[in-house]
This record gives sequence, structure tokens and C-alpha cells, in this order.
Amino acid sequence: MEIVVCVKPVPDPETRLKPSPDQRTLDTEGVKFVLAGYDESAVEQALLLRDQVPGSTVRAVAYGPAPRTPEILRSCLALGCDAVTHLEAPAPVDDPIAVAAALGHILAPRPAELILVGKQSLDDEEGLVAPALGALLQRPSFSSVTDLRWSPERSRFTFQRSTDTAIERWEALPPLVVGLQQAWNDPRTAKLPNILKARRQPIEAVPASAIAAAVGGRTGRSLPLKFELPAPRAGARMIDYTTPDEAAQRLVRILREEAKVFP
Amino acid sequence: MVDFSLTPDQESLRELARKFARSEMAPHAAEVDRTGRFPEEIYRKAWELGLMNLNVPAEYGGTGLGLFDQCLIVEELAYACAGMTTSIIANCLALEPIILGATPEQKDRWLKPFCADYHLASFCLTEPSGGSDAAALKTRARRSGDEYILTGEKCFITNAPHAALFTVFATVDPVLRHKGITAFVVPRESAGLLPGREEEKMGHRASATSTVRFEEVRVPATQRLGAEGEGFALAMRTLDQTRTPIGAMATGISQAALDLAARYALQRTTFGKPIAEHQAIQAKLATMAQQLTASRLLTWLAAWTIDRGARGTLESSIAKCFSSDAALRVADEAIQTFGGYGYMKEYPVEKLLRDAKLTQIYEGANEIQRIVTARELLKRYA
Amino acid sequence: MTPEILVIGELRDGQPSDASREAAGVASQLAAGAPVRGLLIGSPSEPATAAWGRDGISEVCYLTAPTAAALPAGALVPGLLSLLSERPADLVLLPSTTFGRELTGALAARWDAGAATGVTAITRGTGGWEVRRPVFGGRATETRLLSGPRAVVALRPRGFPTPEARELTPVSAQRPLSEADPMGTTLVGTEPMVTGQGPSLSDAPIVVAGGRGVRSADQFHLIEELAAALDAAVGASRAVTDAGWRPTSLQVGQTGRTVTPQLYIAVGISGAIQHIVGMIGSRVIVAINSDASAPIFKVADYGIAGDLFQIVPALIREIRRVRGR
Repeated sequence: MEIVVCVKPVPDPETRLKPSPDQRTLDTEGVKFVLAGYDESAVEQALLLRDQVPGSTVRAVAYGPAPRTPEILRSCLALGCDAVTHLEAPAPVDDPIAVAAALGHILAPRPAELILVGKQSLDDEEGLVAPALGALLQRPSFSSVTDLRWSPERSRFTFQRSTDTAIERWEALPPLVVGLQQAWNDPRTAKLPNILKARRQPIEAVPASAIAAAVGGRTGRSLPLKFELPAPRAGARMIDYTTPDEAAQRLVRILREEAKVFP
Repeated sequence: MVDFSLTPDQESLRELARKFARSEMAPHAAEVDRTGRFPEEIYRKAWELGLMNLNVPAEYGGTGLGLFDQCLIVEELAYACAGMTTSIIANCLALEPIILGATPEQKDRWLKPFCADYHLASFCLTEPSGGSDAAALKTRARRSGDEYILTGEKCFITNAPHAALFTVFATVDPVLRHKGITAFVVPRESAGLLPGREEEKMGHRASATSTVRFEEVRVPATQRLGAEGEGFALAMRTLDQTRTPIGAMATGISQAALDLAARYALQRTTFGKPIAEHQAIQAKLATMAQQLTASRLLTWLAAWTIDRGARGTLESSIAKCFSSDAALRVADEAIQTFGGYGYMKEYPVEKLLRDAKLTQIYEGANEIQRIVTARELLKRYA
Repeated sequence: MTPEILVIGELRDGQPSDASREAAGVASQLAAGAPVRGLLIGSPSEPATAAWGRDGISEVCYLTAPTAAALPAGALVPGLLSLLSERPADLVLLPSTTFGRELTGALAARWDAGAATGVTAITRGTGGWEVRRPVFGGRATETRLLSGPRAVVALRPRGFPTPEARELTPVSAQRPLSEADPMGTTLVGTEPMVTGQGPSLSDAPIVVAGGRGVRSADQFHLIEELAAALDAAVGASRAVTDAGWRPTSLQVGQTGRTVTPQLYIAVGISGAIQHIVGMIGSRVIVAINSDASAPIFKVADYGIAGDLFQIVPALIREIRRVRGR
């Protein structure tokens, strides 16, 4: 089985968030970019499936600028991916549809029974790449997937898809695109000798010019205007009430409508 | 041109060590310190990730990291728990004489198993009658045909209660003083090798320490490292390698202390403002930062010097002595910053002082380090 | 020029879901009086049409297919594209649910539209739609301009108020999804989400913590009941764990756990710094304490000064009512 896993460099989860001087985006000065979150699970799941099905390979693919993008591809090699491909970009690409277009352009001529993507990235959390990629490649795509299995006897994938109200069980023939929520195991940690070895392994580089046509129309579609941190706390807004029930009702309404945290 | 930045490889190594330290070591540090439990499961994980036996060369299955890279890793591990780090790097200490002084067949036989599977090892030099006075060691190695018979006692041996292999320094003739000292590799199963009861220590409690008695232990001559009488030089060359990582150990402790103190100083308010705004605390934090930064740079200088092929005795003795003294001072100031809370075992800061203290004593007490430094220094003026 | 807006909703128990109704409300606000069309996947339903009409939809179209419920979201795109080519739209709104996000990605890719999910505010800007959305796990908010002639925007559920009732009597239509191709996929079964044990303290989106004000180990069950009603994790202050009312694994604070949930409800907790540092990273903090001058109210976003033994049961009742349990 040929498995492709699409990954994205994101700011290290420990990063202190700060707006850039022009207030439009995150200040990336001194920020470390890593493979993290659902992407780590996607790589883990790819490696687990590869080991389950003899003769399979895993290729990690990422679209973005150097050095952060080749660095996370090296992490993928250190974790055990067989090959990695870097789709070059002069600057970070934050339009998920453009990312899907680039990935789709490169992946379309390459057969792969399974394309795995992390359900959403730690930074923008859009979750759009998996469904957009599926649509462009004309393959079925499912998100929020857990318990992804390959049945050799029946030559198909089985998995669960989590919605807000239910857990669905699905079967699908390959080829398939999956936005993965959770792998069977916690993501593995790369061992030191493999980290050193990864440095010397090749990275297939696809120049930006090769993707330009696919992505071109999407330029400027999604423009960052403002990046804000929450205002510092000024002290509690005390809720007035005459009866406990009134207090409860007021609080619940505020939490739902104003604070927007209530489930 | 001097460049203080790390290569991408070094960033990756440091990142691996940091991730392991923060997620696997740190959550258990307080409990292991309190109970004195030997966290074997953590050491096994460290081995699985390739964080043990860093000095073993590639041809025997190791990664053969240079000293600078080793120090990057040791600092990150020590940040989370110095005691666990001591047990992890004790293997490097025990295996170094083999790396430096063994024949290829011996290296094959004794180094490979450590990279093939998880094992602990112990370096046995110190004796009840002499630690710093290593040349006066009393453990005897009596030649008998193609064997040696070892008799004596070693003390304060890291990992001894659990080690599979012991690198032992004994004398073939006390009259010869350091010229009689000989190094041997002795597996645990050897009859008469008796590790003692585990000691109850002030700090580094995750690391198991005990005496090791040798009661007529028979050691084949094929397990002698180098020739008779070459042991002392081998021990000294070993310590030349292992001094510098103790600088990294101490730096990790200092960094942990500074991080705790600085964060606390921003949260704790007295007299209407965070204590970080009081000059007395600012002075403390500044001193701590100075000591920490100097420790790290001295350690880096020593490691870099040795990696380039020099012996680095001057640089490494300075790094070890300064960094360990600094760690004690920084941990002390950190406790003081926390005030009464710093004195409570519930807070993680008092452990750092107890851990820092050992770095002044082991791997060459600081008194000896100063003598070593002076000796090396004066050579340059002679 | 008033925008042409299409709302795609989900049916739940024969009614448009709450999130679909919020989306309708947003659409009618943006349309500023112009008619708003809605799309529901499933068989036509009078009550659903009427309900959505009250939310501002003037025309409800039902997309029907023999196995409409069991299609991957992408299978709907060809049908949607032909609908949109007959009746163009500037903006497609949908709820940012699992399905909604999948459809947003698939549609935006094939329709060559701007796209965004989890959106909490949307306005017409120069050259496109300005959307606001939380990023980095809610630790920051970004505003983006989706420029170009078309956009597909998924709105965060419970991110918008329930729309005010309108007087519309919508037109209802039906459209078969003949081009829908399941592409070799089969829905084998569905299990409703079970609200079980409760999430762990470290990753729970909601934490309910109790302090000394709860008075005893037995009475701490009130905290656990409130947590259960919210599917939240339970936390405790040091006073509670010191007293042995609950294990130290629940302790939030300087020498306990640090938590960063979306919502932290501190009940009977005074707000000593040792506790605060463990929860100050929470997005929204609510405090309930009998002492109006307790330090906890300085760091909380909302506060109720009162007797927790009255307030908390009332809160549990209200939450259960609102969640339909």
C-alpha cells in the first residue's frame, strides 16, 4: 500500500503568542516550527498501517517555505517515513484551499491508496485541507476519523467518524483521503540515531514554479487582517439576581451568548 | 570565526533530550526524590531513545557523539532531574575506560551489548580510604596464572545495586603507587563481587549508590584493560572526558532554579507589587543569570576544546568547578527567592540545592579541580 | 448591492439544528432584508420549513437522495455546483460541524471560493467577507479577508444568538441529488455519543473546581454534579485535598495541576495566588463565592456572590434544562 501523509510546520505549542509589529499575524521572530498535534497522529497512523501491510511505503509531503518545512520533513524521516517531498514556497501559505491545490497537483499523478492529513493544524485549526484535497482528487474524504483500519481480506478501509452527536462507522474502498483525529497509539518519539541519520537522507524538492499554475488563481484569496490576543482581565462582571434560579439563568445565557463557551 | 549557534543536528538532539526530560523525567522527579525509588522504567525509555551510552563509537552500535553534543543532552536531562541524569550518564563514565584503553576485541565484547540492549554499568575507583587520593587505592589485583584475583572495597559507586558491568581500578603492587594501578572489566555475575546496601543520600536520590566489595573475585587477564600499571593514566584520561558533562549537569540544575525563581517572582506579590519589581530580588535574579550563563559557556568552551582533539584539562576543570559552585549558589538564591515556601518540600526548589551539592563533590572534588587547574595553568608559565 | 446568500443546514429530529438556525439568523442579518435561501439535506418537512422561516429563510430547498444520510460530504458537491450555476450565490453559510467543515472544504475547492471555518463573526468588507475566528486553541483571534466573488463560511455553533422570530412563510422546494456518488463508501452503523466518565483535567474543555467553601467531603458531590451536567472535569483547591475530601490528583494550583480549559468555574474558592496560577490560563473564568470581596473575583470574568448551596443546584437545574436532559 502506498500511503501519503500531508504535514504542516506549526509554531511549537509552548510558543508565547505575540502579534507581529503590523498586528496582522503572529510574530514568528524566534519561533520554532515543529510537527505537532493531529499531524503527529497522522504520521504515526501511516507508519502503523505500513507495518501492518507488507510491502507498503509512507511518503510525507509538505508545502511551505524553508527552513521550517524541510525541517519537519526531516522529523518525518527520523520517525520512520520512507520518503519525503517538499513543495517549495517562497512564503508561508495560509490559504488551506491553495495548499490543497498544490498537494493535489503533485499527488494526482502518483497513485496512493491512502492520503492521511491531520484533522486540523494547531495554528489555524481550519480543517479544510483533507476535504478540499479529496474534492480536487475526486476521492472520498472523511474528517474526525479514529480507529482507521485496513482489512486485507476485504481490501477496504474501516474507520470511525466523530460528529458532535454520534460516532459513525464507515467502510471505504481505496483510494481514500482521511482527516485523522487519533491514531491507534500515541505518536512515537524519534530515536537519537534515527534523528542523526535523517540529516543525511534525501528530500525530494518540487520547485515553486511547478506548482504555480495550480495555486496561481488562489493568490490573495485569504488575507490576514488582524491577529489579537485576548484583553487582560479587568475583574469579574458580577451578576445581579433576586433568586438563585435567576442567577443561574443569567449566567447560563451569558456563557452561551456572550462568552460563547457553553456546550 | 567563533559561532555560538547550534547546527540543525544539535538543535534536534537538544530537542529530543528536552522532550524526553520534560515529558518522561520531570513528572516523576518529586516522587522519586521523596521515595528514593530507582525509576528503571525511565532509564529503559532513555536507552530506547538512544539517550544512554552517548560516547560509544558507531562501530560498536553507538552514536559516538562528541562531548559538545553530549553536554547539550546532559543539560536538558539535568534540568528535569539531576539524580536520574547521574544514573543515565554513569554508563558513559564506566564505558569510557573501555573506549579509551581496550583492544578492538575487548571493545567488541564489552561495548556492543550496551547498544544492543538496556544495561547499566558502574565505574569503580573511589575507596573508603581515599577518593581524591586515587593513587593510594588499596584494592588488590593479585596475578594467578592467566587470572587476577581482586580483593578490596569500593564505595559511593553509582548504579552499583543494578549494574551489569563494573570497570574496576585495582593495584597489582601498592608499593608502586600509581604505577601499579590496573584497570579491569568485571561482570556482575563474577563470584565474590558483592554490591552493598543502597545508600540514603541527600540528593540525586533517583540514582542508586552503594559500596562494592571484591572478595577474591577471579578476573581473566583478557579482561584487563591495557597493561599492568596503565590504569591510573587511563582513569585520568577518563576523567578528562567526564569532567565537562558535570559542568552541563550543574548548568541544567542552575537553569531549573532560575526558571522557577523568575516565574515565582512575577507571580508573588508583597508590598503591593510582584516581588520581581523589588531591587533585592532583581539583584538575586541577575546574579543567578550571570552564574548560569557563565557555567554554560565555560562548559561549551571545554567541550569544544576537547572535541577538537586537545586534552582540555584546564578548560574542563574550570568548567566543572565553576559550574558546580554556581549551581549551589543559584539553587540557594532560588530558595531564598521563594522565601518560606522555598523551604517546604512540597515546592520543587529545595531539591535543587540538595542535587547541586553533589556536583561539587563527585567526579573530582572541587578542591582537586582547583589543584588540577593550577597545575595546568602554571605549565603555561613555566 | 445586497449579497445573495445560501444557507446549508442540517436536520436534527425533523428540525433544522440549533447551529443551522443560528446560521440562518446570521444570513438574514447580512442580507439586510433581501431574501435568503436555505438548503436542507433530507426529505421535505413542513415543521422544518416553518421553523427555518421564522429564522429568516424565505425559500427552503430539500436535497433528496435515496441514501442522502450516508454520503460523504464531497459527494454533494456536484449537485451543489449545478444548483449554484442555476441560482448563483455570493456567500454560502453553514454550521462549522464535522459535516459542515467537510462540505466547506470540498465546495470551496471545486467552486474556487474563499473559505473559513469556526467563524465567530462575519461582515461585508472591501472586496470580500471579513471573518473573525479563534486560533491556537482559542489563545488568540484572527480576522481575515476572504477576497474574491465567492465564499463558503462555516459558522461556529453557539457562536451566534438564536435569531429573533420573523414572520416569513417560506416557499419549499425539492431537488433530487442525482449526481451524488458514494465513491465506494458505506455507512455501516451509528452510535449516539455517550456522556460517560468525564474528561481528564489536562484536556477537558470545561473544569468545575471546588474549594473550602464546599464545607465537607460529602457536600463536594455538588461540584461533581455540576461537572457531570457540563461533561466537565472536576478540580479542587489545595484546601480540599489537604482536608482529604478528594485526592491530590484533582488539585489545581502551584503545587498541583495547571489547566487551560475554555471555561473554569471556581466554586467556594477564595482565590489565593497558589490556586490562581494553576488556572489563570483558562479562557473564561466564573467564580461563585459567598464573599464578594474574595480575590477570585479579581481574576474571574463573571462572578456570582452568594450561597453556593443555593446557586449551584439552580445552575445544575438550568444547565440540564438547556441541554434537554
